[in-house]
Amino acid sequence: MADKRPRQGGPRQGASEQRIGIFHRLQAWLANHQLVAVETLIKLLQKPTATILTWLVVAIALTLPGALWMTVDNVQQLGGQLQQSGRLSVYLQPGSDLNEGRQLAQQVGSWPQVASSDYISAEQALAEFQASTGLGGALELLPENPLPAVILVEPPLGVAPAQLQALRLKLEQQPLVDEVQLDMRWVQRLLALLQLGERLIWVLGCLLALAIVLVVGNTVRLSIAAREDEIRVIKLVGGTNAYVRRPFLYLGVWIGLVGGLMCWLLLVLCWWLLSGPVAELSQLYGSAFELQPLSAGAALILLAAAVLMAWLGAWWSVSRHLHHIEPQA
Amino acid sequence: MSAQDPMVRFERVSKRYPGGRDALSGINFELGRGEFAFLTGHSGAGKSTLLKLMMLMDRPTRGRVMVDGEDLSQLRPSQVPYLRRKVGVVFQNHQLLFDRTVYDNVALPLQIAGFSPAQAARRVRAALDSVGLLGKEGRTPIELSGGEQQRVGIARAVVNKPPLLLADEPTGNLDPELSAEIMNLFVRFQQVGVTVLIATHDIALIERMGHRRLILDHGQLVAGGSAVEDDIYGG
Ligand SMILES: Nc1ncnc2c1ncn2[C@@H]1O[C@H](COP(=O)(O)OP(=O)(O)OP(=O)(O)O)[C@@H](O)[C@H]1O
Ligand SMILES: [Mg+2]
Repeated sequence: MADKRPRQGGPRQGASEQRIGIFHRLQAWLANHQLVAVETLIKLLQKPTATILTWLVVAIALTLPGALWMTVDNVQQLGGQLQQSGRLSVYLQPGSDLNEGRQLAQQVGSWPQVASSDYISAEQALAEFQASTGLGGALELLPENPLPAVILVEPPLGVAPAQLQALRLKLEQQPLVDEVQLDMRWVQRLLALLQLGERLIWVLGCLLALAIVLVVGNTVRLSIAAREDEIRVIKLVGGTNAYVRRPFLYLGVWIGLVGGLMCWLLLVLCWWLLSGPVAELSQLYGSAFELQPLSAGAALILLAAAVLMAWLGAWWSVSRHLHHIEPQA
Repeated sequence: MSAQDPMVRFERVSKRYPGGRDALSGINFELGRGEFAFLTGHSGAGKSTLLKLMMLMDRPTRGRVMVDGEDLSQLRPSQVPYLRRKVGVVFQNHQLLFDRTVYDNVALPLQIAGFSPAQAARRVRAALDSVGLLGKEGRTPIELSGGEQQRVGIARAVVNKPPLLLADEPTGNLDPELSAEIMNLFVRFQQVGVTVLIATHDIALIERMGHRRLILDHGQLVAGGSAVEDDIYGG
C-alpha cells in the first residue's frame, strides 16, 4: 500500500468541497431524522418483552383517564336527554273553582314557552293517588280531599334552565296558583356529579401523565447506560448535543405513540364490552340511549398527550444523564 | 483563525489532576500549519494529557491552549463539537463501535457533520482505500486484526479532512512492518497539508523518520518546544 497516493485532501485543498449547501444540509438532516427514527424502532422491537411491557404501562396509564372521560361524555349526553323531559307541576289554591282552573290551563297552554298543559282536578288527583298507592282507606277518613288541583305544564323540548325558571316565575304570579314545583334538583345533582367527574379526569390525568414521564425517563436512562460507549465516540468525533439526544428522544416518541395507540385499542375494548349491557339497561328504561365511544377529538388529545409526556420524560432523562458522558482516551 | 495563526499553540499550560502532582507544567510550544511532529517521553510524562487538552477532553489548570487560532477556554459548550470536527484523533484503544460495520464506523463523522449518504459514500471509500481496507467495509471491527482496527480508527480520523491530526500510540502493539506502514500513512496526510502530532514510545522509528520531536519529562517540555518560549517569554 506504500505506493498508493493518499486520496485525502488537506484543509486547503478540500476547502470548496468542505462547504455543503443549505439544501443538502436540510436533506441530510431530514435523512438523519428518518434513519434515527427507524433505527430506534428496530432497536425497540429487538427487545420485544421489555418493549411491550413499557408500551402496556403507558397504555394502561392512559386508559384510566380515557375511560373516565368516555363515561363522563356519555353521562353528559344522557343528562341532556333527560333534561328535555323536565316539567312543572302547578298547584292551584285549595278549593279553587273547577272551571277557572280549566280556563287557566287552556290559557297557559297557549303561551309560546309552553308545549302542552294538562288540568287535573282535585278529585282526579285523589283517585289517581288512591289507585297508585292503595292508601285510599286512610284518605277517606279525612273530612275533605286534602289534594289540590294541579296543572301539569310541559315546556318545549330542549328549553334552557333559565327559561324554565322564567316560566316558573310567570306561573307563580297567576292569581289561582298556590305553588309551582320545578323538578330540577336531580338535574343539578347530575351536573354537580359531572363536574366532579371532570375534575377527577384532570387529577387522575395529571398523576398518570407524571407516571408516563417517570416510566419513559427510566427506560431512556437504561438505554443511555447501555449506549455509553457509543455516546463517547460520537462526542469524540464532533457529535452535537442535539445529535446525541436525537435517538433517545425518538425512543420516547415511539413509546408514547405506540402506548397511545394501544390505549385506543383498550378503550375500544372497554366500549365494546360495556355497550351491550348498557343497551339492555336503557331498553328496560324505555330509552334509546346507546353508549358512545370516545370522540375522535378526545382520542387525538389522548394520543398527543401520550407522545408529549413520553417525549418530556425522554428529554428530562437525557438532559440529566447525557452531559456526564464525555469522551475518554 | 487567519492562515498566519499556528495550528496549535500552548502558552504556559499546566494541568494538575485532582489530588495529584502536575501532569503538565508550564508547557510552551507552537505547531505550524502542515507541520509533522512527534511527542515522546517516559510513561506518565504527560503525552496523553497534552493531546487531550487539544480536544477539550480535559481543560488546563493554568495557561492557554489555542487550536486553529481559537482560544479553547473561550469556547462555549455548544462550540466544542465543531472544534472536535477539526481535529482527527487516533487512540491506541481505537474507540470503534463494535456493533457497527467498518463502513458505518468510518462514515460516522460525516453523518454527524451532515453529509448525505451519497456524499459520504465517496469519502468513506477514499478513506478506507488510503488505509488499505477497501475490501472490508462490510465487516465489524471484531472480525479484524489489531492493526486493521487501528487503520479503521485512522480512516475515521481523516475522513472528514480535518486540518489537525492527533495520534496517541498509534503503533503500540503493532509489528515493526505495520508500524512503519502506518507512519508512512501519517506522512502522506502531512504531504497534503494536514498538521500531524503523534505521541509514541517508538524511539527507533522516530529516529529513522527524523521529524521534529517534542520531549516531555515529568510534565515538562525538555526539548522541541523552544519557539514560543524564546519569542514570547524571552526564554
Ligand atoms: N484521569 C486522571 N486522573 C488522575 N491522574 C491522571 C489522570 N490521567 C493521567 N493522570 C496522571 O498524569 C500523569 C500523566 O499521564 P499521561 O496519561 O498523560 O501520561 P503518558 O505520557 O500518556 O503516559 P503513557 O506513555 O504511559 O501513556 C501521570 O502521572 C498519570 O498518573
Ligand atoms: Mg498515554
